[in-house]
Amino acid sequence: MVLIFGQVLQAQESDLSMILQTLYSFAFIAYLFYAQKIQTLQMLRQIEVTLRKVKTLKEEARERTVKTLIEIGKPTGDIGPRVDRFIDFFSIGLENMDPAGIVDKMDHFLKTNKRVYEAEVKALAPNATPTERNNLENLIEVSQALNIYYKVMRHYYLLGKKTMNIYVIMQVHMILPMLLQMVEAYSAGIQAFEHGMPIGDGVGPIVAAKLMHGYPQSDVAEEIVAAEVPYEGRTLIVFKAKGPGGSVGNPDEGLINILKERKGKVKMIITVDAAGKLEGEPVGQVSEGIGAAIGGTGKEKFKMEEITNKYKIPMHAIAIKQGMEHVVAPLVEPLFDATDKAVESVKRIVMDYTEPGDVVVVAGIGNTIGVGQ
Amino acid sequence: MAGDQGSAQPAAGMQVSWIAYAAILIVGFLSLFSLYMGFINYGDNTDIAIIFIFLGAAGFAAIGYMLFRGKPVATAKDDTLTIKKVEVYTTLECPKCQQKRVRDFKRGDYVFKDDEPCTRCDGLMVITKIARKKEEEDKKKKEESSWL
Repeated sequence: MVLIFGQVLQAQESDLSMILQTLYSFAFIAYLFYAQKIQTLQMLRQIEVTLRKVKTLKEEARERTVKTLIEIGKPTGDIGPRVDRFIDFFSIGLENMDPAGIVDKMDHFLKTNKRVYEAEVKALAPNATPTERNNLENLIEVSQALNIYYKVMRHYYLLGKKTMNIYVIMQVHMILPMLLQMVEAYSAGIQAFEHGMPIGDGVGPIVAAKLMHGYPQSDVAEEIVAAEVPYEGRTLIVFKAKGPGGSVGNPDEGLINILKERKGKVKMIITVDAAGKLEGEPVGQVSEGIGAAIGGTGKEKFKMEEITNKYKIPMHAIAIKQGMEHVVAPLVEPLFDATDKAVESVKRIVMDYTEPGDVVVVAGIGNTIGVGQ
Repeated sequence: MAGDQGSAQPAAGMQVSWIAYAAILIVGFLSLFSLYMGFINYGDNTDIAIIFIFLGAAGFAAIGYMLFRGKPVATAKDDTLTIKKVEVYTTLECPKCQQKRVRDFKRGDYVFKDDEPCTRCDGLMVITKIARKKEEEDKKKKEESSWL
């Protein structure tokens, strides 16, 4: 068959050659002029597909938020429009042209933000308990985050489509995998906040809870609970956000109050928190270091650093490594198991760096949803 | 065009559609044939042989592109279009007799909650662990990267 085909080709060699060469030349010229356009269209297509996925996720998150609010809060009337309005809620960042005093401004800003969330959730879910309200606040925050991601991505997609500017499109296209990773990470939190399950960020409070469970506890700041735990002749003052509702509390205020009460007579502070892992690092790896292991806006870290510097108290840090996809998702087993290792680390640091009779403050930093004390 | 969706996510479970496979097969066969024609005609009809070789090489290049290009971030036929629901379990322990029980998580559970009476003694079982059930995917990932 091949030979026959070859003979036919040989017979019509010149015609076929001409046709193929014309086609080749045409394709070459078309590619020469439209390569960038083809690439642009291809990138737009990928952004569009991803955007569709993000849209589906944010709509599902919204539906589940409304469903949970109705289920738990038992509101009267249709809460849909109010939820939509609140999902679109925004907070204007602080002006930092003159950064002096910005930490106090940030403190005030965050407290205002918290009050608004509390009031809105109370109105949306009047029959929810304070613990459930905290969880619902977190649930709404996830819906808000997904909504923001969707709107920003849509903005760049439409802008790129309108201008057909490869550089506008390329900017979104380049960060698309990271954006999708973040969107998936947030959407994984929906189930946890709906039901009040512990999340990856809750490893710090779990470590604190394991240390303080069974000892008398008292409130030392807003949404912060502490307990004095005797350990090998030392006194550990362990504190965490008050659970089991979804809250991070005000650990900076907790630490300030404890140190003021003790007049700075504390040998050491140990902060335990979840930390982002690098690719290749195992989930649940426990690492030790120094400094304040705390994320957030930076306000808490600043205040904690300031007070420890005032009293010249060394700060040790324990980080429990996890991926972005674990932070707000229901807690995975390796992370829960890592909390035992972190407890051992705390005890070892206490033994290595302190003497009997010393006082050590241990702070379990993070969201305490699904974690009591 | 099949490659647009078909070659999507080879890393995520080789989700290549049958249309893409068919296109790859056809293009592969034609490219192979073109190369063959190019080689047998080389010398006698060098001009046409070069065109055949070029077409064959271009075909294989296109297949390579379809298979090995960067993983798109999402596909139109993506099966993860809903929020994934994971199974979470609760472990309860009796502080008196150390009796252990594992059950599915239910709303209201939290770590260190005094939950239910112990079935063995008169103690109250305490929730000591709440975690997500291990997934097969996690195990596979661990195996893949164990050498690192």
